[in-house]
Amino acid sequence: MVTLEELQGRIQRLDDIKQIEQLQKIYGYYQDYGEWQKIVDLFAENEPSVEEADRGAYKGKEGIRRYYVDLMGNGPNKPQRPGWLSILFQLQGVVSVDPDGKNAKGRWYGMGMEAKPTASLHEGDLRQTWINGVYENEYVKEDGKWKIKKLHFNLTFRTPYEDGWLKVPVVGQNGPDPVVKPDAPSTSYAPYPSGYRVPVHFKHPVTGK
Amino acid sequence: MNLVELEAEVTRLEDIHEIENLERIYGYYFDTRRMKDIVDLFSEDTESVEIESHGQFLGKEGIRKMYLQGAGGEDPSGQPSKSRQRFPGVGTVIIQIGGVITLAPDGKTAKGRWHTWLAETFPFGGAMGQYWLHGYYENEFVKENGKWLFKKLFWNTTFYTRFETGWRVQPIVGFLPMPNPDNRPTAFHPYPSGYHFPYSFPHPITGEVDKSEYQYQHPMAM
Repeated sequence: MVTLEELQGRIQRLDDIKQIEQLQKIYGYYQDYGEWQKIVDLFAENEPSVEEADRGAYKGKEGIRRYYVDLMGNGPNKPQRPGWLSILFQLQGVVSVDPDGKNAKGRWYGMGMEAKPTASLHEGDLRQTWINGVYENEYVKEDGKWKIKKLHFNLTFRTPYEDGWLKVPVVGQNGPDPVVKPDAPSTSYAPYPSGYRVPVHFKHPVTGK
Repeated sequence: MNLVELEAEVTRLEDIHEIENLERIYGYYFDTRRMKDIVDLFSEDTESVEIESHGQFLGKEGIRKMYLQGAGGEDPSGQPSKSRQRFPGVGTVIIQIGGVITLAPDGKTAKGRWHTWLAETFPFGGAMGQYWLHGYYENEFVKENGKWLFKKLFWNTTFYTRFETGWRVQPIVGFLPMPNPDNRPTAFHPYPSGYHFPYSFPHPITGEVDKSEYQYQHPMAM
């Protein structure tokens, strides 16, 4: 017969997974409206990091703020350009909570439809694009709340609506920013058609390998 | 934690799970045009339903009007609607994505946000066309006799575009004729308005509630 403590542990684990799933989905909704400060507040206080596509890695809470507010937002409280559109679905999460219940990892697809400038992050005509990539993220429980510890978006394609990923796999990806510089180079950047497979964090559910 | 507290935790997780399924089932019923089954997903005390630019329909009567006479292709007797004859090849793939559910502390009501992403085939102007649609739901739910039901459904459209053109070129192609609604649309501001459809959930870390009040400006007034 299971004890009350064991049962509580199992329910806690289900609750943890649900909270992490909601955290990641909310990250997506904030991304849609360019709510960069709200995104910064989703990250852990203790040594968080973010890396997307070929922009390099930003580290520490200040690095997170620089990446989202200064780089993605073009500075604090800047309104979006008219016609800017970001819809980024957070799909198909596989969340693995460590036995200690304090750390977790998650793999997701990011799939979306956008209208964004392609000359640089903030300049040039807006173009309609399809975007697709894979997240391998890490989460930590701080003060009883799940937060993003590490976010890594591996871009698969970002293609003009009119072209498609076979013809133009990546448009308007401009590398590390020369002004809002990353703290470290990209650890991996290999969009379609490289054949790169983003390593999975989880063990095989049947064989355990 | 004692047994009573543990049961409350399990109930909370089950509630979220059931609401997630309810929303997905709504989508599958819509795809398969089971509109009478959709009507039965709504509470007798339903507040309203609002989709696209159709306007707001009030109460359970409004639900019947909207789904059976409007969107459904069926009238309440189950016969094909006269207002919208079925065309061969009409199809809806209405994907429900990214549910974030916020339960009220008493566990009797809830709110949820989703994306909808649609691939639709429909004859606008008599010729069959293929369309991409996107929007956000902010829906409300109520638990009655142990079952979760829709209390309010609001689908806020972002775009409704031709497959051949895309959202940037043509955000909105047009809408279906619908029975007279009870109210005008409450917030129909598709792309590229920049409309911010408020989140029902508080910020998970700071607890901040979304108070954004979008002031629509007509392009000619800007």
